[in-house]
Amino acid sequence: MRNSKKEIKEALTKWEDEVVSPRVKKFNLDKSPTTFYPPLSSDSSHFMEKVGFPGQFPYTAGNNPFEFWRAYANFAAKVGYRSEWGGTGRSGKYGGFGTPADYRDYLLRMQSMGRIGGPNIAFDLVTQCGYDSDSSFAEGEVGRVGVAVDSLRDFAVIYEAFTGPLDIDKVPSNFTINAPAAVLIAMYVCLAKKRGIPLEKLTGTPQNDILKEFIARGTYIYPPAQSLRLFRDTCVFCCKHMPEFNINSIGGYHMREAGATRVQDLAFSMANGIAYIEAGIEGGLEVDEFAPAFTFNAFGGSMEIYHEIAFQRAARRMWAHILKERFNAKDPKSMQIRQPITAHIGCSSTTLQRPLNNLARAVVGGMAAGMSGGIPGAFPPFDEPLGLGHSQEATQLQQDASRIMVFEAKVTDVCDPWAGSYFMESLTDGIEKDALAELKKIEKMGGAVAAIENGYMQRAVAKSAYERQKKIENQEELVVGVNCFTGENEIDVSINRCVEATYDPDLMKTAEERQKANLARLKRERNGTAVGSSLKNLKVQAENQDKNLMPAICECVENDATLQEICDVLREVFGEAKPMKI
Amino acid sequence: MGGDSKIRVLIAKPGLDGHERGAHVVAYGLRDEGFEVIYTGLRQSPEQIVSAAVQEDVDVVGLSILSGAHLSLTKKVMDGLKAKGANDILVTVGGIIPEEDKKNLEKMGVGGVFTSGTKIKDIAAFIRTKLGESS
Repeated sequence: MRNSKKEIKEALTKWEDEVVSPRVKKFNLDKSPTTFYPPLSSDSSHFMEKVGFPGQFPYTAGNNPFEFWRAYANFAAKVGYRSEWGGTGRSGKYGGFGTPADYRDYLLRMQSMGRIGGPNIAFDLVTQCGYDSDSSFAEGEVGRVGVAVDSLRDFAVIYEAFTGPLDIDKVPSNFTINAPAAVLIAMYVCLAKKRGIPLEKLTGTPQNDILKEFIARGTYIYPPAQSLRLFRDTCVFCCKHMPEFNINSIGGYHMREAGATRVQDLAFSMANGIAYIEAGIEGGLEVDEFAPAFTFNAFGGSMEIYHEIAFQRAARRMWAHILKERFNAKDPKSMQIRQPITAHIGCSSTTLQRPLNNLARAVVGGMAAGMSGGIPGAFPPFDEPLGLGHSQEATQLQQDASRIMVFEAKVTDVCDPWAGSYFMESLTDGIEKDALAELKKIEKMGGAVAAIENGYMQRAVAKSAYERQKKIENQEELVVGVNCFTGENEIDVSINRCVEATYDPDLMKTAEERQKANLARLKRERNGTAVGSSLKNLKVQAENQDKNLMPAICECVENDATLQEICDVLREVFGEAKPMKI
Repeated sequence: MGGDSKIRVLIAKPGLDGHERGAHVVAYGLRDEGFEVIYTGLRQSPEQIVSAAVQEDVDVVGLSILSGAHLSLTKKVMDGLKAKGANDILVTVGGIIPEEDKKNLEKMGVGGVFTSGTKIKDIAAFIRTKLGESS
């Protein structure tokens, strides 16, 4: 028998009055602690328009009926292939420390153990902020959270680990670099030229997502508008010369970790994405020439499993509509959010207290990923909040959890398992609606750049972080082992951690000194005149907003100008971003 | 410290670390607790922090460090305060601080180390007690 909407609505009211209310009263509550979604909020007659089939516009149900990794997952499991170690054609584990030679030797050691993925480089904060290792800002930071890179020479030393079958026309490179992304891309270009490898063969991904650095993470150099000009130049250059190389990796995850709410995360990511698309168009490109080379870096990140699934679905639909309707994209690849993983918990969801509990938390994130089109990665390893690096035990538990979700629980055997659920569709619609309203607010201010310049986004995120903290302190939000279940009868489960000596602590200690010596040698040996004239040329080019700076930066890099020398020229022309006060 | 004047706190981010969440949350929280809070913003050198602390005549400096460079950066701030004769200022450190480093920080003269999961109310109470003891 078909039920009309009216009938269901009447039945709902009756159910609320006769079933829910008495029960709420019986337990002395203000309202029911659960919600039930009847088929009212979502309308299945709009299924094709709002959800569609996986791999079809608006991609709510996923970019594809199954992803690349899923196609070979069972085969990989049987032969014991460990995708997290990378392989030819894949990037390896994110990492980096010490001097370029320290990191190169580490990579060679990993390769001898079969971990042969392309470089996935973490740079130290000095490099990320556009300074050299001999700068006063560098003290204590050289080679600490990543590898130090001051010049093309340093960059080339890292790549001594990637030759022959692992040469850069065969393995991709990932660079977690934002403000000086143009310089690092230029280094990659110059390295390819030195090796006689055509630029069309280069693959990889720079993070190159400078706008979110102002909202979270903080490694900005220039003011937002000038930063976006540099993005434009890299975007146009990569599009024209490096068609297989991704342009950026847009991340909402960092904003969420900084405290953004789900809606802020989605709206700000979309606003930033729009600014990047507009920058490419301003650079003279057609949207379908470059938008397919945009990637996203796992936005999302909380324990609220249902909401995080809905978030991914809403994000895919929003981006698809924005690209299609606002920018007239025709290529389906332009409309898709390409990201290595979908939902996940955030590192800020993990707790220092009773750290093994973080494994349970990470599994929740993995389930959300598996049910929203991603690899069910149980990230991060449980020892993340200890700040000591991930131990072998924690890493294996993380990977096994992911494998259990795929092979034993078969979480990823269904594509968008929640499609058509009254509840999930209504949740997806709700998040999309709220994010669109927030996006509209930002656009009224003049878009992402304006909303960063006036401090709106930064303040909004800081306030949300504080609101969350207050909720935890007054037990409105419960965090197990932190603000509840902390009585004397609870025990600390002891944990084993025998950290793999990934980064030699002795090398870490001496890295700064050794890297400063490398830099001094470079400055002695290089052709000072060539450096000076190429930096001068960069300055002239930078003063003209219409010029693409990539050729001039490549020339500086080729002549062994240092990262800071290049960034300093641009600091002089562009000015520096001011730290945001609250 | 005058009995009715507000306790003045400088929340500071030394070094290049850009993770601001903790600094923001503590700054807002201590303001709500009735403290006068000044936040430096990112990327301050230890020298800048020391001179801000002296100029603003603060009672407390709260350093927020999540980059792992907490030992060297804190040492510089402590030395700088001492050199300016401002070692009566209570210094606290917040961030990702491994257990074994807590002791080293305390040896340098750091009054308190606060890691993830700390309540702002507890930080406020700690500051009030410490300042009460010394006045």
